[in-house]
Amino acid sequence: MTPGTLQGMTQDSMMTKTDPQAAKSPEVALAVRNLNFYYGENHALHDISVDFQARRVTAMIGPSGCGKSTLLRIFNRMYDLYPGQRATGEVMFDGRNILDHDLDLNILRARVGMVFQKPTPFPMSIYDNIAFGVRLHEKLNKADMDARVQDVLTRVALWNEVRDRLNAPASGLSGGQQQRLCIARSIATRPEVLLLDEPTSALDPISTARIEELLDELKEEFTIAIVTHNMQQAARCADQVAFFYMGRLIEVDSADRMFTNPKQQQTQDYITGRFG
Amino acid sequence: MSDSVVSTNGWKPNPRAARRRSADHVATAFGMVMAGILVLVLASILWTLLSRGLAGLSAAAIMKPMGPPGSSSGLANAIVGSLIQTFLALLLATPLGLGCGIYLSEYGTDTNKFASCVRFVSDVLMSVPSILVGLFVYQVMVAPFGHFSALAGSVALAILAVPIIVRTTEDMLRLVPTAMREAGAALGATRWRVTLSLCLRSAKTGVLTGILLALARVSGETAPLLFTSLGNQNWSFSLTRPMASLPVTIYQYAGASYEDWVQLAWAGALLVTMGVLAINIAVRVSARRG
Repeated sequence: MTPGTLQGMTQDSMMTKTDPQAAKSPEVALAVRNLNFYYGENHALHDISVDFQARRVTAMIGPSGCGKSTLLRIFNRMYDLYPGQRATGEVMFDGRNILDHDLDLNILRARVGMVFQKPTPFPMSIYDNIAFGVRLHEKLNKADMDARVQDVLTRVALWNEVRDRLNAPASGLSGGQQQRLCIARSIATRPEVLLLDEPTSALDPISTARIEELLDELKEEFTIAIVTHNMQQAARCADQVAFFYMGRLIEVDSADRMFTNPKQQQTQDYITGRFG
Repeated sequence: MSDSVVSTNGWKPNPRAARRRSADHVATAFGMVMAGILVLVLASILWTLLSRGLAGLSAAAIMKPMGPPGSSSGLANAIVGSLIQTFLALLLATPLGLGCGIYLSEYGTDTNKFASCVRFVSDVLMSVPSILVGLFVYQVMVAPFGHFSALAGSVALAILAVPIIVRTTEDMLRLVPTAMREAGAALGATRWRVTLSLCLRSAKTGVLTGILLALARVSGETAPLLFTSLGNQNWSFSLTRPMASLPVTIYQYAGASYEDWVQLAWAGALLVTMGVLAINIAVRVSARRG
């Protein structure tokens, strides 16, 4: 699969047909419609419908177990790793419902990258951590690969810290550095969407601030969906915020309105810390 | 200050505390005595082995092949035979054990009937008496051909090594966090790529340790070789012919009535023990590096 076919179609070519609302906000990267999700018998997400705008940060907030991570893991079909988990409904991405059974998951995951809660450096060098994902989808010569590695490490502001030890094991980096490496690894395959599942919850405040700054730069290029427990983080980073409670989407709005003037009482209670 | 102390008992001796303390001393002493006995047993085995074995361990014992009593013969062909058979066994057992362990850990979930069957069989195989394995291989690889062979010996040893490799490979792979597998899959890697490049790589020290432990386990085995490779007084490098080995030679020589054969048996026992010791040290070193 060449990058051309991976990224050939433009993102705004999709939702116009199926969704009349898309005309108002023409650039929707992910359009979720009537999405239901089940862990075996457990109905975890109920009738979710929400748009994720292209090149914007959408934060998903809500108390533990509300389904926000579950939703995130649908976007790259991570749930497919586990038998018994299934989704119904529609998640349109570049003209296709990504829930389709015949969808090529390896291509989907090249186009929709994910960063996890805990940094998970692979048991290899810093360089190979980046190159691993790239090699899965592209054949680059040494010079191009070097350039790609330097490019993504620069963008996550890690290059100057690791340029002299690219061949050292990635496990030797600090937690914050490891997480930036994982972000670099995810963007190295040039995805269109970046999913972040509480990416800073295991990090110290300084590393957290760095990653938040980074999100601001990355959204120039990527559609970002971030799950966070940190309300300030959602307020600082997100353009759009979605509040989930007990498997239902309660409210979705711009970050400004959501934190100053929420429409729903439950949202109001949650963001003012009355529960959750 | 003193009125802030609540206890009415103060510093008066407490009989219950004294009883607990003495029970603690007794338990500690019991453990130490038992550990001491174990060390004593091991030390006396090693001492006997060293004092008897070193006497017989000459240059001739290592360089010269086996021969008739009184001919200043050695163990050279048995040493080489043992090396050939154990390493061939390892060569056969490693791919089988690795593949099986990978299957059980990565594909054989707890609800998979076939996987739990394989796991059970492998565990049973681990505790099967080694002489039964020897008899089995005799039935399928010796009797039909009418002669003993080194290959049959290696197969018998391999059967004993496989379950050890399966068990350690599965256990070590299961220690790899799920997050690693998800992170690999999230990049668009296929399952086998995740298993091979990520899981197996991060578990490699443990997996290697398992292989070395299997090697140590089979290198002293005698019973499975008695009916398979049989033993050989002469040099033989043919896998289809009987081949000498240290354990079988020890078995034959130790009970003999010739002084020099008995001496060689002790020397052979010392060699096997040193070999196993060396493997165990290698395991420790590799585990520490990982």
